[in-house]
Amino acid sequence: MKRRINTWSWLTALLFLMPSLAGISRAQAQEITVLNPLGQPPAIVRVPMAPRIADLEGKTIYIVDIGFTDTHQLFTEMQKLLAEKYPQTTWIVRKKIGTYFDDDPKLWAEIKEQGHGMIMGVGH
Amino acid sequence: MRYTFVPHPITGTAAEICRKYLQGNDPVTGKPVLEEIIAALTVPITEEDTKTGFIERPTPRLVEPDTEDNLHRIFLENGWTDGLPIVLPTEARVAEMLKGTSHEPDEIVGRMQPSSPHELWSYTVEKVAVNAVMAGAKPEHLPVILALASMGVTSISTSTTSFACMAVVNGPVRNEINMNSGIGALGPFNHANAVIGRTWTLMSINLAASGKIGETYMGSQGNNYNYNNNCMAENEEALPDGWNPLHVQKGFKLEDSTVSTFLGWGFTHPDQSFGKDFAPQIPFWLKFVSPFSSTTLLLDPTIIHQLKNNEGFNSKEQLIDWIQKNTKVTVGDWMDDFYAVQNFILPTARRGVEPFASWMKLPKDTEIPQFPSASRINILSVGGQTNLFWQAGDFGYLSTASVDKWR
Repeated sequence: MKRRINTWSWLTALLFLMPSLAGISRAQAQEITVLNPLGQPPAIVRVPMAPRIADLEGKTIYIVDIGFTDTHQLFTEMQKLLAEKYPQTTWIVRKKIGTYFDDDPKLWAEIKEQGHGMIMGVGH
Repeated sequence: MRYTFVPHPITGTAAEICRKYLQGNDPVTGKPVLEEIIAALTVPITEEDTKTGFIERPTPRLVEPDTEDNLHRIFLENGWTDGLPIVLPTEARVAEMLKGTSHEPDEIVGRMQPSSPHELWSYTVEKVAVNAVMAGAKPEHLPVILALASMGVTSISTSTTSFACMAVVNGPVRNEINMNSGIGALGPFNHANAVIGRTWTLMSINLAASGKIGETYMGSQGNNYNYNNNCMAENEEALPDGWNPLHVQKGFKLEDSTVSTFLGWGFTHPDQSFGKDFAPQIPFWLKFVSPFSSTTLLLDPTIIHQLKNNEGFNSKEQLIDWIQKNTKVTVGDWMDDFYAVQNFILPTARRGVEPFASWMKLPKDTEIPQFPSASRINILSVGGQTNLFWQAGDFGYLSTASVDKWR
């Protein structure tokens, strides 16, 4: 008899506990709202690309090295390889003045006047 | 714009290896490099390539509702954290954080970018508060954090060289928010030091898009200082008469509260002799610093008192002037042994920028100043006077902002 009472006591206690346990489970699965931590990127300004040249025959293409130290060899090798593969094209290697922070308007003017295209390279 | 990539790095790579790179494939697209170059020059542009106008990219204010576990996972997977657990920025927590300032939540605080060629992102007071909550900061820390954010300096620069930053707090706010400038000031022992420094990292990641490996972050080895940015308070109370704290050196009043930023790579502690005066040893300590860089000395107040009382230096400025005049490098070493000098200084010297243009023409054994001006040398008082200890590093001063403005 005593054992039966104990069993009933346990079952009764469980019945009372079940809603609480379900509540804990619901709380764990409850959805919450948080703020997005990201800042605001600026709008992307679309700049149209320059028209491309139809072919390389007889054209002059500048290869411009922005001037990172000890990387000029990449551009001289590029010039050699392109000249081997496209001998009818003039490939000119130039190093921009100053550090890579500096503008070089004289070079840009020269390329606009004498070139048909430009490859700008960042060796690093 | 059309891009082609070759393997990296190129600096100092032999011509024959560069040739192989060019004859090989673009490591990003897998296509032959030379074919991509020719295609970039000759393949006609499309209608899409000719479009003008703007593409807006609004950032939503809220993240889609989800469970806490899922949100923690989302923040981690989106790269919105420093890899450590964060406090989720609920509206209630952010509202509580905003009580730390009188400024409106929608006020623009500043703009920040991962490095100068990148786009500048903007951010409001609320966005700064969100990141402060994530870092575990309290409302009383917010004015310092807002002042830090107002300077628009990322603490995680894109550079392949793995830059680090330092945040130095001065003035009454140090004690109001219980910052540590004494024993263990640069260690993990103080809540304010920890969370203000960490917030700078999270702001850099989230408000400027810094630290995206392969996109906005290329630091080859990375830098452990990026977790906390050496965030500390200067030990002003221990400074002797005549030695001004950093913010007073920068034109603020003693009673003003400020935060200052520094940029460099690291600190170290070369050995020293306690049996000799300190000042004559400093040029030897600084031999490892590139003449391209600045330097910052973190001096325990015990050393500062010795420099004043035993060696006659009555101010920071007097010591800085002495260091600038007595720390030298030969022209030969300057030109031949420092990559950063070769990359950043010599090209300007060749264009006639002084004093570098004149230095280049001197005999190679001529001694020139390792730091071209006194403004490249900084001294900070930090430590709890348990040892005659100091650290020196290649950190340069960037900026100082008022904390009081953001209260």
